[in-house]
Amino acid sequence: MLETRNSAESESENLPRLVVLLHWLLAASVFFLFVSSWWMLSLPLPSAEFTYRELPFQLHKNIGITLFVVVITMAAIRIRALLREASPPQGWLRRLAVVDHILLYTLLTVCCLSGYMSSSYSGWTTTLWWLVDIPSMTAENDDLNILFSEVHLWSCWVLLGLLVLHIGAAIYHGIGNDGAIDKMFRLR
Amino acid sequence: MKNEIAKANMSWLAVIIMLFGLLLLASHSNELLKQTVIGPGSSADLDFAADCRVDELEEEQLSLEECQLMVSNVRIILSSSPPWYRSYQLTLSSLGIAATLFSLVTAFGLINRHSPGLRLAIVSTALLLIIDVAGFVAAVNTGPLLRAQYLWPLLIWICIHLSMLAAIIRLAQQSEMDS
Repeated sequence: MLETRNSAESESENLPRLVVLLHWLLAASVFFLFVSSWWMLSLPLPSAEFTYRELPFQLHKNIGITLFVVVITMAAIRIRALLREASPPQGWLRRLAVVDHILLYTLLTVCCLSGYMSSSYSGWTTTLWWLVDIPSMTAENDDLNILFSEVHLWSCWVLLGLLVLHIGAAIYHGIGNDGAIDKMFRLR
Repeated sequence: MKNEIAKANMSWLAVIIMLFGLLLLASHSNELLKQTVIGPGSSADLDFAADCRVDELEEEQLSLEECQLMVSNVRIILSSSPPWYRSYQLTLSSLGIAATLFSLVTAFGLINRHSPGLRLAIVSTALLLIIDVAGFVAAVNTGPLLRAQYLWPLLIWICIHLSMLAAIIRLAQQSEMDS
């Protein structure tokens, strides 16, 4: 317990406020995206008459693209903080936390990129927050659209599994009161 | 020792408020989006036939029947909703988003040891409970098809917020006795 407390406290010294805010923004966005993806795919397929999917899909893509920028920013800040640490992470819990974060950032990146690629190959255009047209990187291709849809689907399921473990770990640290939770709420 | 226990209680309470707050935020914001998208007078309401192209079915891995039922799914929502239900849900989910954001702020207050932290947490959780009950009462007054969709998740939310409220009130009482 002492080892956990010390490691958590030492990490809190180099966890910038921006990371804390982005962490919660990211968490809210990820939950929103999961819930929206479950019901929006039950809406009628798009056609001239049926436009139910238009707003939810555009919003899903906009949040996904923004999330990608947030993930890259957070990863860069975290890597910088890790490199500044004099010694490598000590203790199995601390090492596990590092692995957990690497996997989370990787999966988030894969989910965002595969979603964008799938959309790009589907031929649908993306206008970021209804302001900036994002050019389609590729020509329409049904096979590649299906492939990237599958990658998107499965990487997101794995991400959900990992998030459940992440939440379990947060509750474990919360009950243990080892300082790990405090650093995710500190805004001073 | 008492201070350590109180600190630990605040710590797990903040995690629980944050976890359920984020889930509820997703729930309310998706309900707001759903009610915005599915409105009376839209194409499903006007009896347009589903447009189920073979290439789209293959892409979405759907059967023709599933594709046609997607339109029926929208009709279920529209035909089972009383005229007042959509505007009621739009208002309630907007209020729900505001109350949830307030509860997330109280979670930060608990960890950062702001003095009215527990009292604010009681207020925000009570607000969430009232919104759950308001949603439940509204769903009771819709048709059976909507009741089947809404009542069970709302009952679970009522139980979650009731448990959280009881825990926060008890911790607030203990905190007052200790100080």
